[in-house]
Amino acid sequence: MTTLRIRRIALAWPLVALLAACVQPLARTSETAAARAVVRFGWTGSPDSLHPGLGVLTHSYVVYALVYDSLVQLELDGSFGPGLAESWQRSPDGLEWTFRLRPGSTFHDGVPVSSRDVVFSLELYRRRAEFPFLHGYTTQIAAVEAPDAETVVLRLRRPVPNFESQIVFLFVLPEHVWRSVADPVAFDNAAMVGSGPFRLVEHRRNEYVRLAAHRAHPVAAPRVDEVVFVTYGTLDALAQALRSGEVDVVRGVSPTAVRALRRAPEVEVTSGVPLSPSTTFVEINQVDPLRCPQGGACNGHPALRDLAVRQALAHAAPKRELLDVLLLGEGAPGRTLIPDGLVGFFHTDLVDHAFDLDRARELLDRTGYRDRDGDGVRESPDGGRSLAFRFDFASDDPAAPRAAELLARSWARIGVRLERRAVDPNALAAVRGPSFDYDLLYWSWTSDPDPNFMLQAMTSEQIPLGGNYTGWSDPEYDELYLRQAATLDADLRRRLVWRMQEIALREVAYIVPFYERTVAAYRRDRFRGWRTDGAGLALEDRSSLARVEAMAAR
Amino acid sequence: MSGGRRLGRKLLGSTATVLFVLALNFFLFRVLPGDPARAGLADPRLSAESVAKIRERFGLDLPVVNGIESLRPLRFGSLWTDPRETQAARYLSNLLRGELGISYHTNRPVAELLGERLWNTLLLLAAGQLLALAAGVALGAWAAARSGSRGDRLAVLGGLTAWSLPSFWLAMILLFLGSQFFGLPLGGRATPALDGGPLLRALDLARHLVLPTITLAIVSFGEYLLVTRSALVDVLSSDFVLVARAKGLSSGEVVRRHALPAAALPIVTLAGLNLGLVVAGAVQVEMVFSWPGLGAAMLDAVARRDYPVLQGVFLLLAVSVVLANLAVELLYPHLDPRTRRS
Repeated sequence: MTTLRIRRIALAWPLVALLAACVQPLARTSETAAARAVVRFGWTGSPDSLHPGLGVLTHSYVVYALVYDSLVQLELDGSFGPGLAESWQRSPDGLEWTFRLRPGSTFHDGVPVSSRDVVFSLELYRRRAEFPFLHGYTTQIAAVEAPDAETVVLRLRRPVPNFESQIVFLFVLPEHVWRSVADPVAFDNAAMVGSGPFRLVEHRRNEYVRLAAHRAHPVAAPRVDEVVFVTYGTLDALAQALRSGEVDVVRGVSPTAVRALRRAPEVEVTSGVPLSPSTTFVEINQVDPLRCPQGGACNGHPALRDLAVRQALAHAAPKRELLDVLLLGEGAPGRTLIPDGLVGFFHTDLVDHAFDLDRARELLDRTGYRDRDGDGVRESPDGGRSLAFRFDFASDDPAAPRAAELLARSWARIGVRLERRAVDPNALAAVRGPSFDYDLLYWSWTSDPDPNFMLQAMTSEQIPLGGNYTGWSDPEYDELYLRQAATLDADLRRRLVWRMQEIALREVAYIVPFYERTVAAYRRDRFRGWRTDGAGLALEDRSSLARVEAMAAR
Repeated sequence: MSGGRRLGRKLLGSTATVLFVLALNFFLFRVLPGDPARAGLADPRLSAESVAKIRERFGLDLPVVNGIESLRPLRFGSLWTDPRETQAARYLSNLLRGELGISYHTNRPVAELLGERLWNTLLLLAAGQLLALAAGVALGAWAAARSGSRGDRLAVLGGLTAWSLPSFWLAMILLFLGSQFFGLPLGGRATPALDGGPLLRALDLARHLVLPTITLAIVSFGEYLLVTRSALVDVLSSDFVLVARAKGLSSGEVVRRHALPAAALPIVTLAGLNLGLVVAGAVQVEMVFSWPGLGAAMLDAVARRDYPVLQGVFLLLAVSVVLANLAVELLYPHLDPRTRRS
């Protein structure tokens, strides 16, 4: 009898859950969001680590940039403004940088920020190569010193142009908290004490991150009480959450949802250049087998080492169509790896290979790539291999299959066949340089505020090191790379970088379909003050979140 | 065979299966292409020096076992290295101490992570499976009692449809309907920044459970309905049911008291199999509803090649399948006296 009753109760409890749905209004009204100003920010994804040294996802960096301060602050237009440092200067030889800290900055636990915290943090990043990204920014720093509590001096191994871009992500950690950490590489930093405009309240992995205002912040004291980043499973759920009012603002709107959101009267959709501009590209394996790195496969199709073939592919790449179909126009046609969001560095006068199938066919005809067996695919001049290329893309990229299809269709019209393969991203990373086990590969990168890393990825020096993924190599480009990396004259450096883009485009180092815009959306009836007028768009940045305020009538 | 020996043999078989999975887990992930130190990143900012340091930190610079330096690419090494300084030895010594290791990705003990996620997944599964079982068995019995009728045909059609629905598609449809018409949350396990008593939190959890539970229930319900129906149709035509009817029992009582217990075997088998398997099968539903369960953890770990988490998840899956099977087998003799003799 008892067992029967237990069984009945057990069977009944899912029904209780269903009934609970009916008491939903109760939960809504008692939410504290109504009483306090809580910005609910929806996104897909979630920070991978609260430890600035260990996180690799952009979601992590969004949280770091709100919870921590750096010496300098990345502005929406890509320039650098004051952060913890209110002013800084460079010695004439470019080897010594002196930063004056702003008085009055405190950590979230009330302890004032001093130059010793800066020295401690930079030294930590410098000594630990286990930090995948932040360590890389410190390789040119020879010494960090604190002559007094408000001054930090950095000595460099060689002059570094645009040096601010190297320290903008070096978040300043409180020495008094981290000093006692036995192994900073195995530390999870779950309590996350910083000096930024928001302090961590709660982090539930893959669920949400709750941040509260740090009112004592000297320059970016928030006007709201809290910001909660909420993780959704799909972009469609995210768009629906904004429409239903479950969140107030979202980052990342799928192109298909843009139209529906634009129709919703209470939602404002906005797009712009992301703070970390991105480049979507087709990598072309053109490594010379004689220069194959140790252990590499270097089995790329030999025709891809022929400039005429690469130019023909470039002329037959339907960039406009890719942009319109994949992004519904929310982007700009690409040129080289350097995205148009890197204002100043992006070569604005560069003339692209025009979309011209006849020109593409003519290039192939002239160089002897003809379809000799009548199967619609051309063969090499020696009659050997047909122009059938492997085309690999990441299986987790929802837009990639469509991109591959459009490229395949267009390239088929000039007698080139693609064998399309969706590949697990880890496996895809493994076939790129230095193993060079592919023909064509579809991928994207987000850029640093400085183009140096992107430019470096096309240098010959990086082929054996695994940092050059195509094997493309050009001596003039290599020389220009070294010059720009040592030029402190900003205008001269810009001219060198422009020249490098001309070479990379002319020689078709990559085929770059587009630079994606970021699309964000927010509710008009909740908070005002979103920065949509800047050169870049990042509603998740402190330039918006420390500025927005709740509207009076809720 | 005596009950004791029988139990002993079953336990032995289960243990052997788990041990096999332990070994397979270790080698399987190391054969996969991809480097945990790169975590799926092919980024020019990630220097070779960093990758080497990270590999060292994870212990991936050690030989896999004596004689094998690495599995992908396959490289043989010296047989005469210190056997304690191999990845296999570290894995085994961790396991012997009852530790699953530390996640590469989060720096947290794997056991702690899995414990948290297992609880979330079980909550979802228990609700979904119980609902599916109750509805499937009830409707299956109802259909069997009037087999051949229009109601029966409709029930079978409904069961087949539910069974063949792709769970991620159903999940997305329900997500929109639930949010649009019932104001249900679009995902997650709890409303963030909800300050309230335990009752409010429990209600909030229940609201978040509704849609994923219904999704899981619908996709499992068809299976239970069809199995129950076909088992009952057989049983209902047997002599002892005729006797029961002759005693003057109502048809409801005949089904409940005589036919259902006799038809319980396939239903219990199915439920047992499901309990073991759905832990993995809920992946899609967890992804759509951003439910922080085991499935989502597994996907995350695959994407980052987080070996300790992968090994932990797969061990847990294997153990749950083995335990569920064991439990069902041990239940058989109680459900059906005939199996005691075999």
